[in-house]
Amino acid sequence: MAANSGPDKGTRNLVIAMVAFIVAVGIIFSFISNRASSNFAIPAAVSEADGYGIVLNPTATPTIDVWVDYQCPACRTFEVLNGGYLNEIIAQKKAKVVFHPLTFIGAESIIAANAAACAADENKFVDMNLALFQNQAGSENSGKWQGDVMLAIGESIGIKSESFKQCVREGNYVKWTRNVTDASASKNVNSTPTIRINGKDLDRNTEYGDPVKFKAALAAGGVK
Amino acid sequence: MVDKFKVAQPWLTLLARLILGAVLLVAGALKVPNLPKSAMAVRAYEMLPIPVANFLGYTLPWIEIGLGLLLIVGVTVKISGALGGLTMLAFIIAIAQAWARGLSIDCGCFGGGGAIDPEDTKYLSEISEIIRDIGLMGLGIFLYLYPKGRFAIEK
Repeated sequence: MAANSGPDKGTRNLVIAMVAFIVAVGIIFSFISNRASSNFAIPAAVSEADGYGIVLNPTATPTIDVWVDYQCPACRTFEVLNGGYLNEIIAQKKAKVVFHPLTFIGAESIIAANAAACAADENKFVDMNLALFQNQAGSENSGKWQGDVMLAIGESIGIKSESFKQCVREGNYVKWTRNVTDASASKNVNSTPTIRINGKDLDRNTEYGDPVKFKAALAAGGVK
Repeated sequence: MVDKFKVAQPWLTLLARLILGAVLLVAGALKVPNLPKSAMAVRAYEMLPIPVANFLGYTLPWIEIGLGLLLIVGVTVKISGALGGLTMLAFIIAIAQAWARGLSIDCGCFGGGGAIDPEDTKYLSEISEIIRDIGLMGLGIFLYLYPKGRFAIEK
């Protein structure tokens, strides 16, 4: 097949070189643009040792890790079914709870995760977490979560401070979301929601969608 | 019969190149805007060590694009066809083993992916994914055997 005429061979090699160039540049660019940030702001409640998650009750045991994407419908269902109990655990300091807002679904997930982190700085993370799910759009990246919508959601749960406004508008914690994603990848989180107690996965097939089984699973993990 | 195949073969090669090339190109291009998700989809198969799965999640979409381009313009058809076929074989094995182990995952073939709600994995979808990939693998094998076709840069 190769090389029966000069010009054809030249074209062929040129095409191979160009395609190889596209692939190489693409791969290099992808790794650079998606790598974890090294120079970024993190909310006060975030702990690097906990996978850059937002930590509530840092000294309590056991540890419950929650990975969600604010645009993920299954995460909303989880919040509706089990969020109340989880918030009770947080309020009564029965466990250390670490929230990892992931942003796989896209731009509006980043906007929401940033706003949730801004709310954490106002000690309103739990309310904001719930409010974001309550305001979830029917479809992904629908355009609903743009502009000052996050401020309105914040205001609905009583956050009116200038610092929150500034944090949301300037996207203070946008870079941090990349580190959350990166840390979740190294912990083999492959889906949202993912809930772990003391590092052990709850059973996705049975324990996410049933509040009774969810409670039992947490109790088995040491939540009194 | 033999003569008929001789006449048709360059056109069949062209068709195989365009189909396999376009599928690879589209599959890769759809994944590139969200590579962390692509990495998650590879991890969800639970076949590879995490760092390898993450690496593959970032590189495979670009390799798919590269192979797709080469097949469409008709350069290195023999090798690209073989590699495209091997890629499909890897997908078939990955989907089949996930299915056999009862993992509920979205194949992530065209973006998306990851573990999903068990109710959303239909066995039918795994079967159709495997059949589709077997067909695409067949095109790759055909291109390996008969790389010379119409409208290729490579003569």
